[in-house]
Amino acid sequence: MNKNTSASVLLNGILKENPVLVLILGTCPTLATTTTVDGAFGMGIAAMAVLICSNVFISLLRKVIPESMRIPCYIVIIAGFVTIVKMLVQAFLPDLYVTLGVYLDLITVNCIILGRAEMFANKNPVVASALDGIGMGLGFTLALTLMSTIREVFGAASFAGIAIPFLENYKIEFFTKAPGGLVVYGLLIALIYVVTHGRAPVKKSFSCEGCPNAGTCHGAACEKKGAES
Amino acid sequence: MKTKIRNLAVFVCICSVITLLLAVTNFITAPIIEENQNAAANQALMEVMPDAQGFEVVDISTLTLPATVTEVNKETSGLGYVIKLKTAGYGSDMIIMCGVTNDGVVTGAVCLSSNETLGKEKTYGENFKDKDAAGVESVDIITGATKTTEAYKNAIKDALNSVVILGGGSVDIRTEAEILADNLSAAFPDGEGSFEKMFMVEYLEGIDAVYTATNGKGFVFAVGEQFVGVDTDGTVVTEGVEDATLFTNALAVIKATVTEDIDLTSFPDLAKHVVSAKKTASGNFILETKGAGYGIKGGNEYHPASGEYIIVRVAVTPDMQILDCITVSEAETDGLGDACADESFYGRFAGKTVNDYKEIDAISGATLTTDGYLQAIERAFNAVKTLNGGAENE
Repeated sequence: MNKNTSASVLLNGILKENPVLVLILGTCPTLATTTTVDGAFGMGIAAMAVLICSNVFISLLRKVIPESMRIPCYIVIIAGFVTIVKMLVQAFLPDLYVTLGVYLDLITVNCIILGRAEMFANKNPVVASALDGIGMGLGFTLALTLMSTIREVFGAASFAGIAIPFLENYKIEFFTKAPGGLVVYGLLIALIYVVTHGRAPVKKSFSCEGCPNAGTCHGAACEKKGAES
Repeated sequence: MKTKIRNLAVFVCICSVITLLLAVTNFITAPIIEENQNAAANQALMEVMPDAQGFEVVDISTLTLPATVTEVNKETSGLGYVIKLKTAGYGSDMIIMCGVTNDGVVTGAVCLSSNETLGKEKTYGENFKDKDAAGVESVDIITGATKTTEAYKNAIKDALNSVVILGGGSVDIRTEAEILADNLSAAFPDGEGSFEKMFMVEYLEGIDAVYTATNGKGFVFAVGEQFVGVDTDGTVVTEGVEDATLFTNALAVIKATVTEDIDLTSFPDLAKHVVSAKKTASGNFILETKGAGYGIKGGNEYHPASGEYIIVRVAVTPDMQILDCITVSEAETDGLGDACADESFYGRFAGKTVNDYKEIDAISGATLTTDGYLQAIERAFNAVKTLNGGAENE
């Protein structure tokens, strides 16, 4: 489990390496599904389920999956789990299925899932990968829920579909639209930066270790570039 | 090569495992998903027929049902039918779902989709619950949402008629215009199905309305429910007419009608509001007069279509009775004031006199239009007074 403890792996995803607010991954579903708390929370849980399953599966097969074939393998695994989650949601939570619409299918190409497969699961044992999936999933869900709470409460004067009477006449519809989403997103990123005193973004994850090409490039290109600049 | 085969084998294995997992999940969820979808489809049906056990779709391709009917669902325990209808409202099409029992009682009606301005259609369906054909007829049209609610009510009537047809009965599903066209063709087959209502400039004893065959071969006289065709020679062509005198006399009056234009240059004040004036040999006047409808009074001075006034053609007897009235042109609001161009509105004036013409019902939601219309008719009466030798007075 490298130098990380179980607890730190789990907690990393929630604040320090929050996928949405620190790593800035999964921006598309974040902006699209945060107009309602129900939709955002559902999306978070669905993505978390896929994340845990794919992390565990990829970690189990990390020694079997050939280096040159890893991306197609990851995509097949992730797409398979997304389809499973989709079928389960359609069967048991039909309302959520309607709310999430096409974004449920798009979990397949969610950067967080592919990113964690590439950054973590293929290098770490099963338990740590599962914890990473849970932590990142919780971070994603929490960020989405927080963002959707702000957007729904101020934009539609309701919380999870329950009307807030005293805000009824003070709706700011801007928050329910795409520009409002971007503004809230930006403010939350700033807030996280302030709360973590600007130390949150782990430089390592942004440089070689976080780069999908790290396996083939071994840092040569970046270091060279860094030396030139 | 070996590595490539090994890589491929790994990939195929991963794909197989994932496929197996998908197959298992599908095996578990497929029946539940299907059940959910059926329940969702039946929800709207159950809403209008709460006691229903289940539904099956009826093939309506071989049946002659009203044009508004798009889908018929039969209740499986034999309670009745749920009928889906599509009708044109004020803004766009309305999709209405209506449940009707086999004995012709509405169990419920909802509007599934619409784009109406006032939203009255959302709750209007509740008025029809537990009503039979007579009950449906007595449901009031909502003032200010006439087109929407009228279309809604007609759709419900179509649903009731459909259930009679589905039960093996027969109903006249023709519209009023179709019934009239059929009656006219039956009375005068030589008219080849093309007739025009004649603008009455002479009083025809005992005759309600006259229709001219557009090919010029003859006329159809309407007396109550009876339609009698007469050719230009005065021969009654409709069978079963015992006494033809009424019709031959009327034809003689029509043939003898001569009109003469009146020069309005010597009546400058009158000419402001009278577009044209004619007089028949018997002394009746045919006037086209202007009234300022909503177009002028509502503050909108610009009307590109047909001039800014409502122009009305009225035939008036010297003793101030209206023989006939028709709207020549108008530029009133679509869906509200433009109802003044419907025969159902202007037809109300025939037979009225100078004393009671204002007693007609106003067009709902278009008071200014109605005022403008009455102004045009008042001007016609004033013109008759003036042209008969009275002082020119506006």
